[in-house]
Amino acid sequence: MRAVVFADVGRVEVADVAAPVIERPTDAIVRVTRTAICGSDLHFLHGKAPIERGSVLGHEAVGVVESIGGDVTGVRPGDRVVVSFHIACGSCWFCRRGETALCEDHAILGAGPFGGDLPGAQAERVRVPFADTNLLAIPDAVDDERALFVGDVLTTGVYAATLAAVRPDETAAVVGLGPVGSCTVQALFALGAKTVFGIDVDPARRMVAQAAGAIPVDAARVNPQMILARATDDRGADVVIEAVGTPAAYETCVDLVRRGGRIVVVGMFAGEVTELQLGVYWARALEVRFAGLCPTHAYWQRTMTLLAEDRLDPSPIVSHRLSLEEAARGYELFDRRIATKVLLAP
Amino acid sequence: MPTFPTDGWFQSFIELINRSAEYRAAAADWEGDIAFLVQAEPDIRVPDDVWGYLDLWHGACRGGGVVDAGTGERAAYVLSAPYTRWKDILLGELDPIKGMMQGKLKVRGDLPTIVRYVRAANELVRLTGEVDTVFPDEG
Repeated sequence: MRAVVFADVGRVEVADVAAPVIERPTDAIVRVTRTAICGSDLHFLHGKAPIERGSVLGHEAVGVVESIGGDVTGVRPGDRVVVSFHIACGSCWFCRRGETALCEDHAILGAGPFGGDLPGAQAERVRVPFADTNLLAIPDAVDDERALFVGDVLTTGVYAATLAAVRPDETAAVVGLGPVGSCTVQALFALGAKTVFGIDVDPARRMVAQAAGAIPVDAARVNPQMILARATDDRGADVVIEAVGTPAAYETCVDLVRRGGRIVVVGMFAGEVTELQLGVYWARALEVRFAGLCPTHAYWQRTMTLLAEDRLDPSPIVSHRLSLEEAARGYELFDRRIATKVLLAP
Repeated sequence: MPTFPTDGWFQSFIELINRSAEYRAAAADWEGDIAFLVQAEPDIRVPDDVWGYLDLWHGACRGGGVVDAGTGERAAYVLSAPYTRWKDILLGELDPIKGMMQGKLKVRGDLPTIVRYVRAANELVRLTGEVDTVFPDEG
């Protein structure tokens, strides 16, 4: 079958690889109808995360169940399903609490040795372990393209918005309006927020957030701290969501939030370091929540329902729809920030 | 009159520091340079970040002015805030110690040491208000 593989640092290619087969009775094989390139795929492209040459990349997929192992009861061949970007066992102590991102057997599709060496989803077919846990049926009202986002970024937005718990009388700010930030803006409104500022230097990203109802803030033209101060009688935002994953963006969140306010860090961090003035945090009574990976399984049914009710719509985030064979170009467009989101059709 | 935050403004400030008996006494054993990052607010005519620098030593200022970011970042203490916050401090409308604790003014460096020299800090703040200042957003 055809699949997108890591060729070398800075280079991916579409190659012939062995088609997946059922390896365990809890597996399912999904024929992929849409997959996507995610920001975290670029870590492998840039050589910042380890992966073997020839490994299949990608972790976002939607498709049709083609075959199942003997122990799978939740889906059947022919079902339209979305795949969770991370794989959880569904039965350990953390999974039973809904904290599936902390699963004892946690893995991520197409993420190299740190992701459990599972082949990725940017392929014609993908093997999904623990299929009863990691596949979600798609209702007829939701098309494949929109359902794709339930497996990762849109549900991450709903998770971030849930942690933020913004009341209608509160002011929220989202720092970084990439796919996660943009989905978070939508989810904040869907969950009841009335006033959301969206901060980014990229005009295209601001436009998407503005269309969803956010007040756009161009961080290159104004000082976001003063914009939020002026909008809140000099207090600052009640809740700030970090959706970038850099120390600078985190620092911006600390600058924007009011005393006694909340910061939700949904952007992904790895080895970054920053300095905290603990006394200042203490005196300001800041609540900082590091979200970690989204426990997709605990939030994706709610996300799918919001999608089916048209209260969320990830479509405006999509800038490019390419065939799987054009994946290398898709990576280049995304890496150069020409594309906001690239979908691939096998 | 010097415009804030230009090198001319910092030179006027340094002159006032070195004429202040109160600062000389309060900071008699202070050792450490301080950088001031005035963060840009392009929409109110402060287009770029500006780094001011004071080489403070035993109650006197041995030099300083506007410096590049690299020099500013190497200072023992860095105080940073948007331009409007600095303007509020210069006008006496924001107490910098309170500003630090409220997150309006950020400090990098040993905060307890700065707080121990609160009398010297207050005198520096008072002196900023003594500089005849032009504010670019009012021009």
